[in-house]
Amino acid sequence: MPPKPHRILLDRVSVYADEAAAFMRRRRIARRPFARLYYPHGRSADHAQDSSSGAELFVAAGRLIEVAGRKEKG
Amino acid sequence: MIQEARARVTPGIFADMPDAAATAAPDRESAEAALAFLTEMSPDLRGAAILGPEGEVLAATGEEPGRWREDAAALFAAADGAEGVPVEQVHIATEQGEVFAIRNAGLAALTVTDRFALASLMLFDMRSTLRQLASPNFGGSEPPKSRSGD
Repeated sequence: MPPKPHRILLDRVSVYADEAAAFMRRRRIARRPFARLYYPHGRSADHAQDSSSGAELFVAAGRLIEVAGRKEKG
Repeated sequence: MIQEARARVTPGIFADMPDAAATAAPDRESAEAALAFLTEMSPDLRGAAILGPEGEVLAATGEEPGRWREDAAALFAAADGAEGVPVEQVHIATEQGEVFAIRNAGLAALTVTDRFALASLMLFDMRSTLRQLASPNFGGSEPPKSRSGD
């Protein structure tokens, strides 16, 4: 027996909602601030914002962002 | 196995590369030409500076070159102090923008970009700009080679 039309609609809406939730989840992860340092021979290390070294890096980066200023919209 | 071999061989390969060696500082005109080219190549870029071997500003965007020197020194001090080892590259992403810093051939470059700039391309452009700038053949009138090869 074919599914009722409203079931198809509900399923479709729920698929879109799942996709949107996954997109928001990925976006939240991607937008998280990070500080990554690269050392000789290809090694890299992440420093969390709440660690003492990470906090210093974020403060220094904030100052540089301030110096660079906003981009003029062309 | 492969990782062990790579760890054994890689330091030797990089030790032969001249990038880490300090060279004579290029003149300001060349640095400004290189910075202009870097700015033109990177649409996400908000501001940038090129520093000499002593941390002096060779070229910078904006009105406050002195602040670039101070803030770059603070950034490298914080980065070097994180593990007590000098860093080669720094990438910090915040809500307000992203900061990239790189040391190459005794020079340093710093850029501030919008969020979600392509990190590998940005670092590649910065590194190639510094390499070109440090090469003895680089003149102020000749821009560094573009990554697309045109």
